[in-house]
Amino acid sequence: MSATVRYRVRHLTAYHYSGRIDLCHSHAHLTPREDKVQEVLSHQLNVTPTPHFQVVRKDYFGNPTDYFAIQGSHEQLEVISTFTVEKSSAPPVLPDSGEPWDRLYDRAVMIAQDDTGVCLGNYLLPTLPCPSLPDLDLFLNPSLTPGREIMDLVNELMFRVFTEFQYVAGATENSTPLQTVLDQKKGVCQDFAHVMIAALRRLNIPTRYVSGYLETIPAPGTIKLQGADASHAWLEVYTSATGWVGFDPTNNKLPGHQHIKIAHGRDYFDVRPLRGTFIGSGNQKLTVEVDVERI
Amino acid sequence: MDSEMFANRASPKSLASALAYTSQGNRRDEALSPDGAVEPEWYDLFESINRHGLDTLIDWKTVAARISRERGLAYRPASLDESNEKGWTLGPIPWIISPERWAVFEAGISQRNRLFEELLKDIYGPQRTLKEGLFPAEILLSHRGFLRSLHNLPPGNGVIGLGISAFDVARDSAGQTFVVNDRFDSPFGLGLALENRTVVNKVLPRLFGRCGIRRIGQFFTDWFDYLGRCAPSGSGAPQVVILDPSESGQDSEIGFLANYCGISRVHPSDLTVRDGRVWIKALNGLVPVDVIWKTMPGRDMDSLESENAWARGTAGLFEAIRGGGVAVASHPGSEVLQSPGFYPYLPKICRSLLDEDLLIPPVATWWCGKPEALSHVLTNLSSMVIKPAGYHHDFSTRYGSRLSAGELSDLKSQIMASPNRFVGQDELLISTIPTSRGNQLVPRGGVLRMFSFKDGDNTTQVMPGGLARVSNAEGVVVSTRECGESKDVWVRSPIVEKPFSISSALSLTHLATPDIVPSRTGENLFWTGRYAERVDVISRFAARIVDVQISSFSHDEDFGQKHEKFLLKALFGIFGTKNPAKKAKGTDDRLRLILEDPNCTVSVPYNLNRFYNATQTTREEWSPASTLAISSCLNEWNSPASGGPLETRFDSKLKMLQLNLSAFLGLNLDSMTRDEGWALLDAGRRLERLFVICGLLRFLLKTKFSEDMSTFFNESILYILDSVRTFQSKFHETPSTELTVRLLLGEQDYPRSGSNLLHRLSHVLLKLPSPGHHEHPRDRIDPWIARVSEFTSEMENGHFERKSTLAMLDEMQGFLSALSDALTVSYFSHAEENI
Repeated sequence: MSATVRYRVRHLTAYHYSGRIDLCHSHAHLTPREDKVQEVLSHQLNVTPTPHFQVVRKDYFGNPTDYFAIQGSHEQLEVISTFTVEKSSAPPVLPDSGEPWDRLYDRAVMIAQDDTGVCLGNYLLPTLPCPSLPDLDLFLNPSLTPGREIMDLVNELMFRVFTEFQYVAGATENSTPLQTVLDQKKGVCQDFAHVMIAALRRLNIPTRYVSGYLETIPAPGTIKLQGADASHAWLEVYTSATGWVGFDPTNNKLPGHQHIKIAHGRDYFDVRPLRGTFIGSGNQKLTVEVDVERI
Repeated sequence: MDSEMFANRASPKSLASALAYTSQGNRRDEALSPDGAVEPEWYDLFESINRHGLDTLIDWKTVAARISRERGLAYRPASLDESNEKGWTLGPIPWIISPERWAVFEAGISQRNRLFEELLKDIYGPQRTLKEGLFPAEILLSHRGFLRSLHNLPPGNGVIGLGISAFDVARDSAGQTFVVNDRFDSPFGLGLALENRTVVNKVLPRLFGRCGIRRIGQFFTDWFDYLGRCAPSGSGAPQVVILDPSESGQDSEIGFLANYCGISRVHPSDLTVRDGRVWIKALNGLVPVDVIWKTMPGRDMDSLESENAWARGTAGLFEAIRGGGVAVASHPGSEVLQSPGFYPYLPKICRSLLDEDLLIPPVATWWCGKPEALSHVLTNLSSMVIKPAGYHHDFSTRYGSRLSAGELSDLKSQIMASPNRFVGQDELLISTIPTSRGNQLVPRGGVLRMFSFKDGDNTTQVMPGGLARVSNAEGVVVSTRECGESKDVWVRSPIVEKPFSISSALSLTHLATPDIVPSRTGENLFWTGRYAERVDVISRFAARIVDVQISSFSHDEDFGQKHEKFLLKALFGIFGTKNPAKKAKGTDDRLRLILEDPNCTVSVPYNLNRFYNATQTTREEWSPASTLAISSCLNEWNSPASGGPLETRFDSKLKMLQLNLSAFLGLNLDSMTRDEGWALLDAGRRLERLFVICGLLRFLLKTKFSEDMSTFFNESILYILDSVRTFQSKFHETPSTELTVRLLLGEQDYPRSGSNLLHRLSHVLLKLPSPGHHEHPRDRIDPWIARVSEFTSEMENGHFERKSTLAMLDEMQGFLSALSDALTVSYFSHAEENI
């Protein structure tokens, strides 16, 4: 890497229970993966209380995953992921795939493998959160000029999601169906990524979901607040000439060094940051804090 | 005798015509040769029917139905109609298969089992078949049963391949054999096959002996022996369990299996994962599990990793699998292999993976994701069977031949909207097998479900038998949902096989003996005890009300109605529900409520269903005689009553119910091991009786009766608690409140008295282990034994005071509720709830 930027990220997830929890099993996608533009310098996952059992594995898509279990009675659970990464600071450019979106689709793409050895078919087929809805065509159609190059098309779709959809925190939940997002034209970064993924897969363009963080820069004259950052989501699109190329419809931006990637999969559910089953009684209160700091 | 029979031996052709049995049009019949003569393997059966006359078919059917009913096979309470066994009846006439034909089936299924075993390994491993394009990627990658989280399991993990697989085999009119379904993810029917064999063997014992039939018991022993050998290393006596998600008797065929094989059946909520291992939450603590044979959908097994947010699995199970802490059969991700989307590509896959030609072809199938296949299917839609290619809860198999023009065009647009999701298959004109209808022998389309597994030595074991299913009517379709009848499958053996005892065979394997009582089983046993007593008391209430009514017709009707009102008030008071009988106008309406309303919490049917459900969750606990008593309780109660007024119709039913219940309770007293489970059943009974005594006596003391009524009501109480005779022989007096209280509360030597019940309860709870951080529930009882005994001696000295007695009973009621809660907290509740 030529010019680089380093970041330290701290992601805290805390559950406070009104009752007593006797057993908890969790799965985490909190360890960043490495690629051409991102090197992981250090990573630590601190869980309190200390898990009785902990395993690190790689999932189907090659993302590092942590499984841990807390087997004693506890009233709160705190998971802190801390890591430093070094990223290339070269500004992203929109590549040319040389491939029009309305090319003759070759079914062999399904079993072609990307640089991680995963068959592209995984990223071409609908999933539960990204179903192949006919209404997606209403969104696609205005941009589908014949012969248009794929990256150019995706770039415009990104712009259109950015302008036509409203970012409203809390407008959706994890379980909100895509159709609702299309109808209300409101959502958060995860919904915008899902809309584009589902739409592009209808055109047989391999697309995957990316989870990570975004460095935010405070308005001039203000101090950056602790924990003010958040988890972020965007998408990546594949063509054979370009490999995977990122798009962030929430900010209408090509992801650069400010986008710190954790994991990718077919959709949000493949890469949920923390998923747990808690066995016990009572309600839970969730606190999340994210800090992205340039070092 | 033999020579005489031989002399009279009818020719195979005349035998068929004597029974008026012919094939259906141009369909092939399994029992007939093309010229209409009975095939040799069917000869004995036809000859036997001919000798006894066709009316014997009715007898066979009646006997089979009775035996199934007694064994609890056919009975389904109305509230459980979701069961896929509903409507399953057993046809007594088996499907008989010659050794030669069987050899063909066996070789084909054995190969198919090996093929899918290899395919499973490949798709959850290197995915060579996918990457080489041997089948369209969509079939695997868009199937929800393809569990990516179990891809590339580390070596040494505990997945036991496909486990027992099921293959549905059928023959068409040309005699060509096809496989029409493959089932790997907890196939249905294994328990039913076992049960059918047991029943048919009892219906046709002589014929079974004469024919020389292959026995199926060894298959199960081999299977458990193999499971035991799959245990993660280090377990000398591996603990093997059957994992069954059903809450009640819904999937009782699994109960049959567990019962027959003597293997513990556990519910997902009985299991917990700790330290990367799986444990049973038992009454006496956590017991490690080595091998799980699952009978639930694989993708729901782990609630942590399931796509289904409502999955009722065991959190952490998949991680235990990945870490090799437990061995599971079958692979939880085997469901994807059931997709008929693989069918068109199987010959190619077989050559690639096994380097063999596929012996039994699948039904001709087109996956609609390919344009040329799609157009073939759409053009021939009216003669095709349309099935989902993957898992789709919203589409079930359609038969083009049965659809109207409008329905066909709807189906067409549905397929065109997402062709990837569908396959079309040729509709086979499947061969028929002889089936009895009344006193006739008729041909009905039949499909044979065969079972097999591949064991550690790389050999495939095929069960020499199976489950045959025949269509309802003359149609060609046989599906699980619409199937009319199931049948036993007889594979004729050239040699006479020795009878086989699975329990002695299993004792030779090294499996752990299942002496664990899972907490949930314990809880169900406790409630079995409570509901058995509750049903008994309610039925006695009802019987008493009937008596009062009948006698009031000839005596004082007004007085009788008052008496009846008191009884109803007491009944609803004891079980703490609002008295809906107040709204019911006539006497009949009130009685109906108790006798017929399944939603009224103090009715006989409501509590009988609860009782039945509790017993079904713990099937393995019951001896055959107890099972018979349980099914008799229900069958006789639900049998159509003879005519006449309500009170006379139910009179004998109530008496039979009481008789069956006491048979059930008495049998358990004699035949159950005195372990923790028995202790809980017994505790449930005692506790329920104590509640009832307490409630009845409180009502007696609280209520102001006229003098006449007091005597009658005291008599009623004694009747309800089955204590009339004891009272008479002890006191030789007209019943009075004081004496009733003395007998039913204080009389220590009388088994139905509160005092005696408290002693018994305290004694029986000794069997239960000390609960971790709570006091032993038993410790709560002793102070009450002392208190009741003090009260009794005062009574014997002539001190009886209504008010203080009532106060004590009120307190006792509170104590009993607290005791019941303490048992729940100490033994049943793991207070577990997924958030």
